[in-house]
Order: sequence, then structure tokens, then C-alpha cells
Amino acid sequence: MNKLLTAAVAASMALGASWAQAQEAVTLQLKWVTQAQFAGYYVALENGFYKDEGLDVTIKPGGPDVAPAQVIAGGGADVVLDWMPSALASREKGLDLVNIAQPFKSSGMMLTCRKDAGISTPADFAGKTLGVWFFGNEYPFLSWMSKLGLKTDGSDGGVTVLKQGFNVDPILQGQAACVSTMTYNEYWQIIDAGLTPDDLVVFKYEDQGVATLEDGMYVLGENLKDPAFEDRMVRFVRASMKGWKWAEENPDAAAMIVLDYDETGAQTEKHQKRMMGEIAKLTAGSNGALDPADYQRTVDSLMSGGSDPVITKQPEGAWTSVITDKALN
Amino acid sequence: MSVLAAVLVYWIASLALNVWLANRYNTRLVRLVVPAIFGITILVVWEGVVRGLEINPVLLPAPTAIGVAFAGALDTLWVDFVQTFVKGALSGYIIGCGAAFLVAVAVDRSPFLQRGLLPVGNFVAALPIIGMAPILVMWFGFDWQSKSAVVVVMVFFPMLVNTVQGLQASDHMQRDLMRTYAASYPQALMKLRLPAAMPFIFNGLKIASTLALIGAIVAEFFGSPIKGMGFRISTEVGRLALDMVWAEIAVAALAGSAFYGSVAMIEKAVTFWHPSQRGQS
Amino acid sequence: MRSILPILTVVLAIFVLWYGMAVKLNAPWAYDKAKRADVTLSFSEMVADTWSQNKPRLPAPHQVTREIWKTTGAMIAKGKAFSKRSLIYHGWVTLSATSLGFVMGTMLGIFLAIGIVHNRAMDMSVMPWVIASQTIPILAIAPMVIVVLNAIGISGLIPKAVISMYLSFFPVVVGMVKGLRAPDHMQLDQMATWHASRVQVFWKLRLPSSMPYLFTSLKIAMAASLIGAIVGELPTGAQGGLGARMLTGSYYGQTIQIWSALISAAVLAAVLVGIIGIIQNITLKRMGMAR
Repeated sequence: MNKLLTAAVAASMALGASWAQAQEAVTLQLKWVTQAQFAGYYVALENGFYKDEGLDVTIKPGGPDVAPAQVIAGGGADVVLDWMPSALASREKGLDLVNIAQPFKSSGMMLTCRKDAGISTPADFAGKTLGVWFFGNEYPFLSWMSKLGLKTDGSDGGVTVLKQGFNVDPILQGQAACVSTMTYNEYWQIIDAGLTPDDLVVFKYEDQGVATLEDGMYVLGENLKDPAFEDRMVRFVRASMKGWKWAEENPDAAAMIVLDYDETGAQTEKHQKRMMGEIAKLTAGSNGALDPADYQRTVDSLMSGGSDPVITKQPEGAWTSVITDKALN
Repeated sequence: MSVLAAVLVYWIASLALNVWLANRYNTRLVRLVVPAIFGITILVVWEGVVRGLEINPVLLPAPTAIGVAFAGALDTLWVDFVQTFVKGALSGYIIGCGAAFLVAVAVDRSPFLQRGLLPVGNFVAALPIIGMAPILVMWFGFDWQSKSAVVVVMVFFPMLVNTVQGLQASDHMQRDLMRTYAASYPQALMKLRLPAAMPFIFNGLKIASTLALIGAIVAEFFGSPIKGMGFRISTEVGRLALDMVWAEIAVAALAGSAFYGSVAMIEKAVTFWHPSQRGQS
Repeated sequence: MRSILPILTVVLAIFVLWYGMAVKLNAPWAYDKAKRADVTLSFSEMVADTWSQNKPRLPAPHQVTREIWKTTGAMIAKGKAFSKRSLIYHGWVTLSATSLGFVMGTMLGIFLAIGIVHNRAMDMSVMPWVIASQTIPILAIAPMVIVVLNAIGISGLIPKAVISMYLSFFPVVVGMVKGLRAPDHMQLDQMATWHASRVQVFWKLRLPSSMPYLFTSLKIAMAASLIGAIVGELPTGAQGGLGARMLTGSYYGQTIQIWSALISAAVLAAVLVGIIGIIQNITLKRMGMAR
């Protein structure tokens, strides 16, 4: 058994080594399961954009219990996709995550509410039950609530928070007045389930002035000191952005590429094409470079958390323009 | 490196101590001390390896760091414990085991139902019931009721199968004897068949006790209010607060062991006559 | 054979109950839909609707059967048995992790049991911790196991198998310790009068008499390692396997898909446990221990 194991490990390592000589290996850890949210990377892989840059890229899908920050700390990936709030929170835990590129300009996060639950403005939230994702995704919500002055610990005059699973059942079954949704995904699941846009009120984080940066590319700061790594990242970002722009121009084809890479075979063509259309709106304003103003807005929103801010001090060195400067010019 | 060497020396020393103790003495004290030394050794080796190899705390925190987190968050841990263990696991355990017991006694009078139920029950007991967790959360809402429901479904069939088997455990001679005494069905049940079934029933109860906590925690992964052990574990992993995660795991392990232990102690008191309990001090 | 009629009765009762529950659970949504469309439903229309919804709370058996057929039989007919949309492919992914974990768990369990039976120090120190180990919620640490193993360069099948192993070694240890201690004093004394060494006692007496116990615990271990594989697939998501099907099913509210994955897992469990049962029958018959 043991021998077999060592042999297998040795073989796979040898295989990896021989690949590396021809092409340099880069492993990307996604934040979530394979879907059009990550179309740019799959497009770059499928269309050979990475290969053209001399990279052999492996894309690892995520899942509800995969923390990208933990994966990169464990050396399981070279680059991870993460939301800035949780990346900055990880920095405060001592993990040196650095944003090297930001393909998503706008936030797709929103809170979707049922009209019949008596909600028409954020002022109506008090006393209601709201569904929220946790696992590092709760930070934008918490900072919004503290901006509204609503308590989230279940005390009087505040809101009752529910950890929603990975689906929108709570709003369909009336267990929650609102649930967290993404413009490109969960919102359409509510629509598919039979509720109409007329039944719903949506509050986009973008419109509420509490938008935070989503789906940035993060690497470990110590790796960046290595010029060879930096060079690999420059090529990676360049190819990825090429993939994103291709996906924006050919949304339907990009969705089909994503479908081909879906290991579970559970995604549907209709949903992915629609998602790609919504994703394209979010990536549209970005060429990959992080806008310092967006960054500052995210940081301010996270630090304004009243008595319990998400991050306690101004982060330093949490992003760099070195990679994008070289990659895009 | 020196830390690792020291750990290695400690490890060998404590192993040797254990072997010496176990072979030399056989008192109640030694029966407690030996596993304790083994457990402490594991903790020390863990601590040493984490420090010696400088493992990143977001991957595996050292036991001392976990201890600090544990001591610093006692009230949170208590709230979670009540939510998951008392409300979710314990209520589901009692309902599930109780219902299974009653069903087993009810079908006991009908050999027809027994022959049908036993294979089907065995089949269902082997199912990955965990897969039902998302469905039950959908049906019973997000609070502890759905956790309880998952536990009920998880413990029901192992308990049912064991009880049905146990009620058949008395042999023909004994049952014939009851008949010669002109015992009624309830009398025979109470005086002979239930006592004879106890070892099986407790076997079921013990299996169910480890399942109950796991079921309740798993169910929280599919949606929960903002307290509970499963909620805390999944949230804190996302926040990279691994020390808190392990503190929560420690609570689960302590609660689970205590639960199992108390069922085993009741078993000892109830089935003192059974061969498996005799000859043990 | 005389059990067939009772079993069929029970199964039939389950199906009746299932259809009934489907009506009860899906009815609110049917009425809700009707209200928004401004039509009133007669009872038979309502029942028909509850058995044919797209995303029911509880899909009716025929919906699940159709989905399973669509993702297995129909796939074979089209010659795409191993496409990613086929349950056969996902069953295979789960099966490979299950069997590897089962083999590893059984080995570990038997080795631990041999040690416990032959070494007092191990008996005293390991046994309580073996029980304690099972009270740790494995689903909670499954993602961490996967990340940590990733960190030392192991990924893919092995981490899932490790989780399977963790769940499956326990019944084997417990069963084997009981089994290896099954020979009574008379038999052990007999071996002693023959001046048998410990090794000889093990091979000629302890091991053979532990066989019935071994097979019983192997059946439990097989079921446990299937659960382990599924649990290992839940957090990693999106990488195939029946667990991933359940997860994505839950994620997209595709209840029919969850149930068909669940039923496939059940069938897989039944087949695997059945195989062990057959091996058990043959082995015990050959050893003259069949009852």
C-alpha cells in the first residue's frame, strides 16, 4: 500500500516536473464553484491565452467550505480569487495577501427582499429577518448594517440575521424577508423559482454606497519579492485579462466554455449564459488595474463598522500596481 | 530542530512509561493514568511539531493557542453548545431513539411486519443519511428544529434495528417458561424480553450518541441562525480564526465523549448481568 | 424467500407515504402559484401539480426515477456513460474514493486491533482515544484535512479517501478487538498445552474465530466510508462525485437532482454491503462457520 502510494506520488511529481520545464505552472484557486463568474480564466485556458504566455495553468474550483486564503497559505495555489473584505481581514490575521489585479470594477452583491414582507426602503429592515452568507462574505453586510445603525446581534430594534445556505430557499419559503443575492446568480434563481421582479425589492450594495471590491486576484507578498514569480504573474494577469475581454465580447461562447469545464455537470446552459451577461456588466469598467479610489472606498466602508469594525487599522501594502503596470502597458 | 528532537525524546519517554505502567500494575488508577499520558503526549507532540516546523497558524494552530482561544470565548462556546447540543442533538436523540423504541415494540407482535421492516431498516441504516440534511433544513426551517429533525432521521434506524433484534434475543426455552407461568404478553415483555434486549438497545443508543452530535453540526452547514457549533466552525474557517475552530471542535469532542461515556455507564448499571460486562472491575 | 412479501409490503407502504408527503409538502407552492395566476385548483389538479413541479420540496418517486434514468440508462444508450452529466461518472468518482478509504480504514483498523489485543499498554492508552476520535465532527474538519494535505502536495483522490478511512477504521477496530478476544479460556488453554507461540495462536485460533465479527464490522465500515467520501465531496464541491451532485443540487434548488444522487448513493451502499455479504457467506461456509 505504502509502496504504491509513494510510487504514485513520485510519478505525479515527475510528471509535474517535466511539464514545468516546457511551461511554468500556475495554480489558480477560485472562490466558488465553476460558473460564468470565472469565465475569463476558463476562456484564457481554453483559447490558449495562458499557453501563449508560456504558462501551464491549473484552475481549482472552490466551494462553500473552501477558504481561498487558507489554500494559498497552505501552498495549494499561487493565485487566489477573493473578495477584498475577507482578504483584508485575513491580512489582519497575519496572512500577507496582496491584490495584484482587479478585473471586477463593480460589486454584484445585493439584498433581495419580498415586497409582501413589508420592505420598501432600508429603514424597514428593523425587526426583520435577513439572510446573509458567512464564511468571510458577511463583512460587506455587517458594515452596511452598522452604517444604518442596525444591530445584528438579535437585540431589540436591530435585525435578525440568518446564515443562509447556498440557495435562496429562505425567501421562497418566507423564513426570511430578505436574502443576499448576486446580480448574476441567486437573483435569477428566485426568478426561476416563480417569483416575479414585481414581487421583489432589491438593494444593490453599489447603490447604497457600501460596495466593496469583489473577485480580485491575490498572491502572497513574500512570493512577489521573487522576480521570477513576479514575471509569471505579469504574464498570468495579461492572459487572464485577455480572457475576460474575450468573454465580454463573446458571452454565449464563453458560457459554453465554462459549461465544458464544469465537473459536476449540474450547470445549465440557460443559467450560465444569463450569468455571463450580468458578469460582463461588472467587469466592463476594468482593464485589470485596481482603482485606488475604489480601494479606499472599500477600506473606509470596512473601517466604519462602529464598535466592531471589520478591520481596525489602515492596511498597508495590501495592493500593488506593479503587476498590472507591466502587464497592461 | 532542537524542538523536534526534544519532542521525539519526550514521545519515547512517555511511551516507555506507559508500557512500564501497563505491564506492571492493573489498578483503576493506572487505567485512568495511561490513556491520560497518551493524550497529553499527543498534545505535546502536536505543539512541538507546530512550533518546530513553524507551521502557519491558519493551517494548524498549536494546542496552547487553541487553549487561549477556548478560555477567551467561554460564553460564545456555551451559547453554541446549548444551541447545537442541547436544543439540536439531545432533543433529536431523545425523540429519535424514543420513536424507534416504540415502533420496535409495536411491530414486535407482528412477525410479518418484522420480517419486512428489518431488512428495509438495515438498508436505510446504511444509507448516507447526511445527504438528507439540506432537504430537512428546507422543510423544517433554519433554527434548531431542522437540526433536531436530521438527528431524528439519523438515529432512528440504527436504534430500530437494534431494538427489534434485541426483542428477539430471548431464546425459546425462556419464552416457553414464561408461557408455562401463564404470563400475559405485557408481562412477558416487561419481565423477560425487554431485559434480554437491553444489551442490544444500549448498543443502539451508543451508536446513536456519536451520530447525534455529528448530525446536528452537519445540518448547520446548510443554514442556521447566527449561533451554534457548526455555524461557528464554518464561519471562523472563513475568517481564518483556526484557533476558534479547534476550540469548537474540542467542545464537540468533549461533549461527544461525555455523552458516550454516560450512556456506557448507564449500560453498565442496567446490564450488569451480561457476559460482556462481567469480569471488568 | 418467505420474507419477500413482507418486504414488498413495507416498501409499498413507503411509496404510498412518499406520494402522500409529496402532496402535502408541495401543495402550498401549488396554491401560491395558482393564486398569483388567479385560478382556483380542484383537488385532482392540485395533486397532479404537486407530482410534477419543477423544483418541488419533495419530488415524487416517478420524477426521481425519470431523472435517474435520464442520467444513467439514457446516457449509456447514447454512448456517453462517462460524461460529466452522467450519474455513472459521479458514482464512479465516489466509488473510487470509497473503496480506497475502505481498504485503508480496514487495514488501519485491523492493525490497531492486533496491537490492542497483544499489547496491554496499547489497549489501555489507545482504546479510549479511538472512541473520542469519532466524536469529532469530521465534516467540520474535512475542508481543513483537504487543505492541509494539499499543503504537503497530496490532492485529488487521497484526501477524500483519508476522510473515508477516518470514519471506517472505527467499526473495524471495535469489531476486531471483540473478535480476536472471542476464543474462550478453554481454547486458549488448549493452544497453551500444545505449546503454541503467540504468532501461532494468532494465525490458528484468534484470526479464524474473529471472522464473523470482521465481516459484520466490514459492512458497517463500508457504509461509513461511503458517507466519508460523500462528506469529503461536499466542501470541495464542483469536483465531481455524488456528494458534489447533492451540493450543487442544493445550491440551485434542484431537489430532483439531490434525491436522485441520494438514491444512487443508497443503491451504491446496498451493492457494496451486499458484495461483502456474499464474500462473508462464501468464506464462512468454507471455514465451516456458517450458521
